[in-house]
Amino acid sequence: MFKATIDANLLKDSIESLSVLVDEARFRISPEGIAVRAVDPANVAMVSFDLPASAFDGFEADDSEIGIDLTKITDILGVVDKNEKVLMELDEMSQKLSLHIGGLSYTISLLDPSTIRAEPKIPQLELPAEVVLNGIDLRKAVKAAEKVSDHMLLVVEGDLFFMEAEGDTDRVRLDMPRDQLIDLKPGNARSLFSLDYLSDIVKPASKSNEVTLSLGMDFPLKINFTISNSDGKVGYLLAPRIESD
Amino acid sequence: MTGFKEFAQACRTIEDIPGSLDMTEKVAQLLQDVNCDELPVVTHFIMGEVFPAWSTEDLGIGTSLLYAALSKAAGISLKDIESLIRDTGDIGKTATEALNNKSKGQAQTTFSSFIEDTQELSILEVFERFKNISKVSGKGSQTTKIKNLQYLFNSSSPDEAGYIARLAIEDLRIGVGEGIVRDAIAKAFDVPIPYVERAFMLTNDMGLVAVTARRGGVEEVTKLNIELKRPIKMMLAQVTPTIEDAIKEMEIAAIEWKFDGARVQIHKDGDNITLFSRKLEDVTRSLPDIVSAVKEHVTAESAILDGEAFAVDESGRPRAFQEILKRFRRKYDVETTAREIPLTLRLFDLVYLNGENLLDKPLTERRAALVGCVENSGPVKVDEQTLTDDVEEVNRIYNEALEAGHEGIMIKNPQSPYSPGKRGKNWLKKKPLMETLDLVVIGAEWGYGRRTNFMGSFNLACHDPDTGRFLQMGKVGTGINDEQLAELTETFSKLIVIESGMEIELKPEVVFEIAFEEIQKSTNYDSGFALRFPRLVNVRDDKSPDEADTLKRIEDIYSTQ
Repeated sequence: MFKATIDANLLKDSIESLSVLVDEARFRISPEGIAVRAVDPANVAMVSFDLPASAFDGFEADDSEIGIDLTKITDILGVVDKNEKVLMELDEMSQKLSLHIGGLSYTISLLDPSTIRAEPKIPQLELPAEVVLNGIDLRKAVKAAEKVSDHMLLVVEGDLFFMEAEGDTDRVRLDMPRDQLIDLKPGNARSLFSLDYLSDIVKPASKSNEVTLSLGMDFPLKINFTISNSDGKVGYLLAPRIESD
Repeated sequence: MTGFKEFAQACRTIEDIPGSLDMTEKVAQLLQDVNCDELPVVTHFIMGEVFPAWSTEDLGIGTSLLYAALSKAAGISLKDIESLIRDTGDIGKTATEALNNKSKGQAQTTFSSFIEDTQELSILEVFERFKNISKVSGKGSQTTKIKNLQYLFNSSSPDEAGYIARLAIEDLRIGVGEGIVRDAIAKAFDVPIPYVERAFMLTNDMGLVAVTARRGGVEEVTKLNIELKRPIKMMLAQVTPTIEDAIKEMEIAAIEWKFDGARVQIHKDGDNITLFSRKLEDVTRSLPDIVSAVKEHVTAESAILDGEAFAVDESGRPRAFQEILKRFRRKYDVETTAREIPLTLRLFDLVYLNGENLLDKPLTERRAALVGCVENSGPVKVDEQTLTDDVEEVNRIYNEALEAGHEGIMIKNPQSPYSPGKRGKNWLKKKPLMETLDLVVIGAEWGYGRRTNFMGSFNLACHDPDTGRFLQMGKVGTGINDEQLAELTETFSKLIVIESGMEIELKPEVVFEIAFEEIQKSTNYDSGFALRFPRLVNVRDDKSPDEADTLKRIEDIYSTQ
């Protein structure tokens, strides 16, 4: 069984953090909360999402797994006021999920989880450098990079973190020394990433005022933050593009 | 689990085999080597298809989507992809080259590079990804399709990627068609060819036939039968030069009008009606008037009926063939078009009735059963039929049909079974028109002068069902007006595979009905034949490329002209 009440805004942000990579996802429900692990169709970006029971206004659940078409939830939440509460209830027999919001009540059919891409194997990575910054700064750098190129370089050199994008003709660079960052753990890091993915990922990340980036040399990027400053955690992993000489 | 690598290697070997016997041998071996889950997939893949022909699933991968996925997977620009296309002239080779060139760009990696025990890409995974691609729709579906393809390219070797790219456009070009696969199934699972052939005609699904043959041999293959809602191939007619010849051969013949309309196969399962076009596409949604007429006037509980739908104008004469096709192709505003172009249905055969397969019953019996389960009323009628051995009378019926504006007559052997997909001597047609050929358009050229922005001439090919290849036999540039040219250019621009200079290679999808003066031997084209004075008569939207005229037929016409 599963029955929970959650802030509409928090639910919206949670769904957004997943829908930037996938259209449908398997939700693992347990008495401790909800967890999702998903990988995008190209096997280039992953998301791990954990929303503990404490993030809900009310939460009762047994262990189960359900498949959800994220676009349906996004559509429903599109017409909901920010400060409303959403009551979610699972009918296991009919495999339907109902959402009660104000006077509205939606019932959506669930997807068979076995038809959704399986949870990815998560690579074990040693990422030497770590940068903590405001999500808005990250978004700014990505927006600027999009203007000149389709990929962006992230580098940690000593006490300096910088992001650089180079197109056929133009170049843009954002320097962020330690004093402009919330925190920085120095280490050798230089990797190139596709803006196709970064642009999508920074949308939910920009809402958090503390985003942690973990980086290495030609290695995947880890982006961790909490959802709408709650107990919910989101982590992305993005595979790099490898530049060769 | 068989890796896609094994499939790619088999393709590479088959491609280089000159003789069809050796080819069959190799395909048979491949079919034996894969497991039961993989067998249907491999059976379709090896013929260059992803889903069975009758399936409503469609990949919807155009070349621009394919180029985008390659560009992302290889980390090189679209421009570079396009220049590779120009250099190699082949989409498969382009994919291979692009991924070989990875190091020149900034290639996107996947997580597989960061996980130690990565599994190699399997045949089933490739199929799963194609299935995902066919399922996505709506906002963002292009991106999802690209990402799925990108995954496939990034998870395979450059060589394998070449075959994935060709499968994505469902044109594998290794010279394996239905004929070779049929023989290979027979060989691999020890089932005589005619049984395999028959099972395929009834099910239209070579994958299903292969699996059944492996699991249960001849015995199970024989049990494969017609199923409601799964179309069977339609029986076809040969052209007879004269009515006298036809009657002499048959003694007593069943004569019917040949209506100027479009063929339709009707599956009735209680109140559930499904309609299939000649290409075996599901056209139920486009023809609501036929659906309700069948519901009302066909009294059988379950049945598969064969008939012709046509439209008449105020004076009762048939409207142009293109008008009827408008009805068949219509997906929106169906009701309005149905009012503008109301259809009349003439039924002439019944192949399945209340659970019983009637294929092997003689025409006279099938027809009696047909008459027994249809109330002739309004738009639905059982076509009139006359049994006669009198040439005079046949001529009279022929002239009546022509006066009424229809195509001519059908001359059928009353004792014959219904042979799905066969163009045999049991059904003959007599039309006054000079004979035309249905040929597939496989390429085009940009026009000159007034036709600068249009495709000006089209390369025509006949079909070789054994190898699945389309063999060129000429070009056509006449018989096309400006309006048609604009329309054709638009249609074909979605089918461009490769463009270099003025030359365009097209995905073989569109069939032209071509009139000509004479067939000549020629070394210019790979079919070995050429057409004298070809001109376009009709675009046959109702025909699929593998229904085009075959090399065998061209040879027959050549030898009799």
